Amino acid sequence: MESWRKVRDVVRKKIALFVFLGWVLLIVGDRVDELRVYQGAQIAMYTIALTSIVLLTGYSGQVSLGNGAMMAVGAYAAALTLNNLQTPIWFAFLMAILVSALFGALLGSAAARLAGPYLAGTTLALAVGLPAIANQFSFLGGEPGLIFDVGFPPERFGEEFTQYKWFFWIASCIALVAIFVTSNILQSRFGRTWRAIRGNSLAAELAGIHASRMKVLAFTMSSALAGLAGAVLAMNIGLVAPGAFTLALSFGLVTGAVLAGISSLPGVVLGGFILVVIPEIADVIANRLGDADKLNSYLPGLIVSVLLILSVIYTPNGPGENLRKHLRKKAAH
Amino acid sequence: MQKVIETLLIGLTTGSIYALMSLAIVLVWRSTRVVNFAQAGQAMLATYVGFEIASRSGVFWLAVLFAIVAGALVGAGVDYFFMRVLFKHANSGPAAVVAPVIATLGLLGLIRSFVGLTWGGEFKTIESPVSTDGYTVGSTTLPFSPLNTLIIVTVSIILIALAILFQRTNLGLALRASAYAPEIAKLAGIRTARTRTIGWAIAGGVGAVAGMLNTANNFLTPYSLDLLLVFGFIAAVVGGLESMVGAVVGALVLGIGLTIILNYVGTSLVFIGGFAVLILVLLIKPDGIMAKGKGRRA
Amino acid sequence: MIGKTRRKRTWFVAAVLASGSLFATALPAHAETGVTSSEIKLGITLPLTGAASPGYNKIGNAMNAYFKYVNDNGGVYGRKITLIQKNDEYSPQLSIAKTNELILKDKVFALVGPLGTANFTAVHKSVGIARRGVPSLFLNTGFSGFANKKAYPTSFTILPSYAMEAKIAAQFLKENFAGKKLGLVYQNDEFGIDALGAFKAAGVKFDVSVPYTSGTQGSATAQTWVSQLAAGGAQVVVFFGVTSATAALLGVAAAAKYAPQWVLGSVGSDPLILRALGVPVAVLNGALTLSGNPSPNDTSDEYVKQFQEINTKYNPGVAFDDYVLQGMNVGLMTVQALRAAGSNLTRKGLIRAMETKGSTFASVAYSPLGYSKTSNVGHTGYYMAVMDATGDRKPYGGSAVVYTTDSGSGPVVKSTFKRPAMPAKGLPTNS
Repeated sequence: MESWRKVRDVVRKKIALFVFLGWVLLIVGDRVDELRVYQGAQIAMYTIALTSIVLLTGYSGQVSLGNGAMMAVGAYAAALTLNNLQTPIWFAFLMAILVSALFGALLGSAAARLAGPYLAGTTLALAVGLPAIANQFSFLGGEPGLIFDVGFPPERFGEEFTQYKWFFWIASCIALVAIFVTSNILQSRFGRTWRAIRGNSLAAELAGIHASRMKVLAFTMSSALAGLAGAVLAMNIGLVAPGAFTLALSFGLVTGAVLAGISSLPGVVLGGFILVVIPEIADVIANRLGDADKLNSYLPGLIVSVLLILSVIYTPNGPGENLRKHLRKKAAH
Repeated sequence: MQKVIETLLIGLTTGSIYALMSLAIVLVWRSTRVVNFAQAGQAMLATYVGFEIASRSGVFWLAVLFAIVAGALVGAGVDYFFMRVLFKHANSGPAAVVAPVIATLGLLGLIRSFVGLTWGGEFKTIESPVSTDGYTVGSTTLPFSPLNTLIIVTVSIILIALAILFQRTNLGLALRASAYAPEIAKLAGIRTARTRTIGWAIAGGVGAVAGMLNTANNFLTPYSLDLLLVFGFIAAVVGGLESMVGAVVGALVLGIGLTIILNYVGTSLVFIGGFAVLILVLLIKPDGIMAKGKGRRA
Repeated sequence: MIGKTRRKRTWFVAAVLASGSLFATALPAHAETGVTSSEIKLGITLPLTGAASPGYNKIGNAMNAYFKYVNDNGGVYGRKITLIQKNDEYSPQLSIAKTNELILKDKVFALVGPLGTANFTAVHKSVGIARRGVPSLFLNTGFSGFANKKAYPTSFTILPSYAMEAKIAAQFLKENFAGKKLGLVYQNDEFGIDALGAFKAAGVKFDVSVPYTSGTQGSATAQTWVSQLAAGGAQVVVFFGVTSATAALLGVAAAAKYAPQWVLGSVGSDPLILRALGVPVAVLNGALTLSGNPSPNDTSDEYVKQFQEINTKYNPGVAFDDYVLQGMNVGLMTVQALRAAGSNLTRKGLIRAMETKGSTFASVAYSPLGYSKTSNVGHTGYYMAVMDATGDRKPYGGSAVVYTTDSGSGPVVKSTFKRPAMPAKGLPTNS
């Protein structure tokens, strides 16, 4: 009885925290201009995508370079549902989750026997190959892609309520819910089991854990999250095209996850923020230095790569871990 | 019938270039147990060096020589300054699994940005040393030119040279020992760290040749070797990361398979075809085609 | 107990803040976006890098060179023009992101010369160009779908559409190559399909038809195009694609000793760039191509001569080719449009100026401009040109015979239009 009340209190505190965060985001969304609101929606999207990586790589230890492909699956599922079945928006998002979960389950079962570089290679091939399929089948829209139009905000919000603000609201809501749900899953038995598998697969098996089933489950959930992120991306851009899901996206996601702490869920917001802010900063620097076009094309990549290398070498488990180590050292004194 | 022959020939040529890249990847894997995604970046940098020499001297083979040297130096440099630091710092926690992969990815991006900022993104060309006109058999012209022959010959020579190196020389023995049983190798007096660096240097040189041969028939941009990286890696995995012969076999299988898809199915399915080939092979043999079933040492 | 009170307070504060923010009003907009007393900001998205960039990546700098020239000579009613270029690598999704930046961050007054069919289609819908009232002048694409003024009320084309080009080419094919086996290679999106549809409507039947996906052009895929064309015995091959794809096709065909009569679409046929991409001059010799402008080497043409001078001075080190010519021409048209809108510059005013005075603007192309209150279509005609052994482009038959048509079912007619003279020193004085 006592433990149930404790769990209920913890969950209630969490809900309160998330609702509070929601209010803060609403207020922020009202105060800033349209560009920032649009970027906010992109940050929310990356946050969801990074959550999928934290679950898959940070917790269950499977290195996948193909999250971009799963995002593509979700985005196309959402667009096809919306355009061909004329369903409400939330149903399109739901389809994105379900379809990419299904793909994830398939991929996971095939990949369960693989590890390390073999898994990385397979997911790499997927990341490169999957978006290109859109060019083969015309119902997928080819290179120009499919339009994904979630429409305009309800009139009662007034004229000043731009479409990008609407996207920001929807994206943030989804992101908050996704993080909330994932955080609960990660703190539950599932999360502990995944960490056991990541640590030592053999020992986990001996302890009675069905390792491959749990791995497939991790893939399924991670892909569902990635698919959801893909649908949010589709909403933000208004377009689902192969060009949005390049190898660079998958690499960028892994980068963001490492920068923010690959097994740290709170870090995903920081990671999303970094992924959106870096091109901004690079843009500013490039403009300051003149000769914009060459610098602009390669400077963001340079900054991201340098950051990535530095963080992998010095804070491989994210800045949070180093901070904790530092605090622990201080406490010991 | 002609289409079949054409497909085989084109597949063989593309496969040979992938073979060089996958050889380089397997070399690094066997000596360091790291998959070096930056391999394409090193090859790209070396190829740009080759481009500079080629455009100044007009001699292809001189350019290749410089490229090989550049590639070897970059490879050794990456191992010495980068990988050692990495292994010193990132050896615990959940990220230890991921760290080398991410780090080499970051390095790839770094090299690419550097190349882009230095040379720009315009399409550059390197003159092929031999004609690119197809051989004429009777009234038909095959999509197989003296350049393709050159590629296949070069790859074969490199493969034989590496095989001799690994099987018949002391250096080769040291390289194999340092990879499989570093502690025992050290006890036997082998300087494992230095040997590893040499392995990276050789891989860098091989990658440089891949880059130069690929560019002789194509354009050079900071992104032109990406395809080589992806397919070289897939080829290495298909062949089993443990064997160099496997790397070459895997690359040829991949090259022919992809060309079949390109010619008979459709251009857009080429990449997913690569994925299909890969997953098919791994489902049947999780360690790759040439694996001896000894179990993975991931 | 205390925790509950604290939580209650947090809720209350949050509620107050939230409701207060709902009354936050937006800043009133007074000055026109992108225009100050000393500056006009314009934006362009184009492929500066990537598979489609060769050739097209020179357009922005050419436009800029012309604008700098005008700025040095008083600007437009005293305002200097600033052109902001953004690289979208020919990817529609990047075009959307970069156009968002141009409109929301850089706050440009108008878009000029955005490049790419799929790119602008995506941008127009996603960014809401019409809804925001952003003028987009002189689109660098020939997609006939943009000619719809209802759907694209603030946009204006400049190039003849691919449909027009196909119709004119179709007439030429029927007159000169009747009975020969025809082949077609085209980019498999709205760009190529636009042309394909017009060919069909004009009754041209292709014996071999090879679509390819944008971005996949390269020597390996070009091999498959050539095998198909050769296997089908095509004697005349029409090509609608970007320059880098033309280069791949011609290069591979030369190596395979396959030499049909080439008919190259105007978009991807600049001989200088093709040669820079490795196509031997011998292959270009005799290739037919449609063109709307004089050859960039024709210094007897007053426009070309003036633009070359400006290029030498303001865009040093850059070879003068079709793309530089095109870029400078767009610059010339832009300045005329800005002038026609008057010194009290507004977006609505610019659009009105294009509608009422646009058709009288001076432009290097040989065909008339069709801007009006009901039409946002620019040039409407092409002439057939042929490349010679030096890689230069000369009119087929000696002198340029320009045909005009529309994107629909209208006839192809010989044009008697006379171009307006180039403004003195290349500096417009219109109002």
